Amino acid sequence: MDEQPPQRAVLTELAAVLDNLGPALDPVGSEGLLRSITATAREIFGAAACSLALLSPDQSELVFTTASGEGADSVLNLRIPSNQGIAGYVVMSEQPIVVSDLRQDPRFATDVADSTGYVPQAILAVPVSSPRRLLGVIEVLDRDTTRPAADQDMRLLSVFADQAGLAIENSRAFSELGRATLRAVADAAPGTSLADALAEAEAEADDVDERLLALAGLFAELKQAGEREHELALSIVSQVLRYTRGRARRRT
Amino acid sequence: MTALPVTGEITRDWAWGGATGAGVDVAVIDSGIDASHRFVGHVESAVALTYDSSLEDQVRKVEGPHGDLFGHGTACAGIIRIAAPDCRLHSIRVLGERLTGKGVVFAAGLEWAIEHGFQVVNMSLSTGKEDYFSVFHELADEAYFKGVMLVCAVNNVAGASYPSEYASVFSVAAHDAKDPFGFDYNPSPPAEFGAPGIDVEIAWSAGSTIVTTGNSFAAPHIAGLIARILSKHPGLTPFQMKTVLHAIADNARGRDGG
Repeated sequence: MDEQPPQRAVLTELAAVLDNLGPALDPVGSEGLLRSITATAREIFGAAACSLALLSPDQSELVFTTASGEGADSVLNLRIPSNQGIAGYVVMSEQPIVVSDLRQDPRFATDVADSTGYVPQAILAVPVSSPRRLLGVIEVLDRDTTRPAADQDMRLLSVFADQAGLAIENSRAFSELGRATLRAVADAAPGTSLADALAEAEAEADDVDERLLALAGLFAELKQAGEREHELALSIVSQVLRYTRGRARRRT
Repeated sequence: MTALPVTGEITRDWAWGGATGAGVDVAVIDSGIDASHRFVGHVESAVALTYDSSLEDQVRKVEGPHGDLFGHGTACAGIIRIAAPDCRLHSIRVLGERLTGKGVVFAAGLEWAIEHGFQVVNMSLSTGKEDYFSVFHELADEAYFKGVMLVCAVNNVAGASYPSEYASVFSVAAHDAKDPFGFDYNPSPPAEFGAPGIDVEIAWSAGSTIVTTGNSFAAPHIAGLIARILSKHPGLTPFQMKTVLHAIADNARGRDGG
């Protein structure tokens, strides 16, 4: 039997390690965190239901990915056009809204309510986003408005929305970073099965951050350069990061 | 140039007594306006902007009467009419077709409003995408230098919100008072004004009305009041307008005529 070239053996081992470590390193399964966010929000608002709908990659649809309470089972995985209904309005305008008498809204009546079997009276809906992109909408149905400080509910749900946004962005950044790492490994060892598999996977993926991949490619190329070049690159990247961190601080 | 009464007090009567918004052009950048809704009345002009990547500036502009794709623009137009029943309403539709290219279309809508010389622009929408920070900042500066009053709903979300967080715009949040002519000045911006927007009955799609809450519905109150003041004092600059609003706010002196 032919012996594997040492390089390929290392790559095979690396792939196995990544495979095992991947799930463990994923930031505590963002799905569980999102479920906990909608369940907690529902509890705090004394609401009939709370759900989260995320934009599809081409932004044409909102997909209900997490739900808690009345109608939760039927709303899960429900897809609605992102330009319709209250949820559509919220992602379009990026403005939160409360509608107190939903049955009066002719557009909403034929919207989500009918398809889930639960027809709410009132809705509170807030956009979910990160500085990089708009992600979706979080909705609370029929909350108890007699609770103390219920007039602050929009602000309160916005806090939950921020949490959800961070969880989603964190998880996406992780998978992008994972892809970028694999890309760098594959670029450093062209012609291996890992490189081929990765190229294939990339061709199928539609939400890869192209710039991050390009960056990973540059790092792989940099490996060929000398020590002084490495030092120079390190100093430039560090400065860029310092600058962006400072900028982020000023914004918050 | 319009001078403020530096010797006397700025009162509501001085600001808008007998005024109706007549002769003032108010643009609503939103989901369109349903001119047949009983809260709205006549719409002077309308343009629908949509994303089209085959065009050089990526935005297709179609002039002519259009409907409201959500009900939201109609709601804003109806609220503006309360304080400025005789103003000229202009619909700039940027919302409702699809999300792709939303920021580009929104910016083009604002540019359209500034180029066409509309004096007041209501924006009950915003974007939180960092990429648009400088685009909207430049437009907000251009509007300010041309004396165009940009009225923006702030959103309650913790992240950034453009153009509502710039200093030159009139940024508005909802407060729980109901008087459509009442408003507060917030000494700790970025939300500079508070206006009715909690459990308010507003115009909606298909001739209906709904009871709703949102900063989206507070902003057009201020836009309407600005149009009302401008019809009596044409030529006021944005900073003069802020001075007038500051003087006659519910939480300030001078509002009752002395």
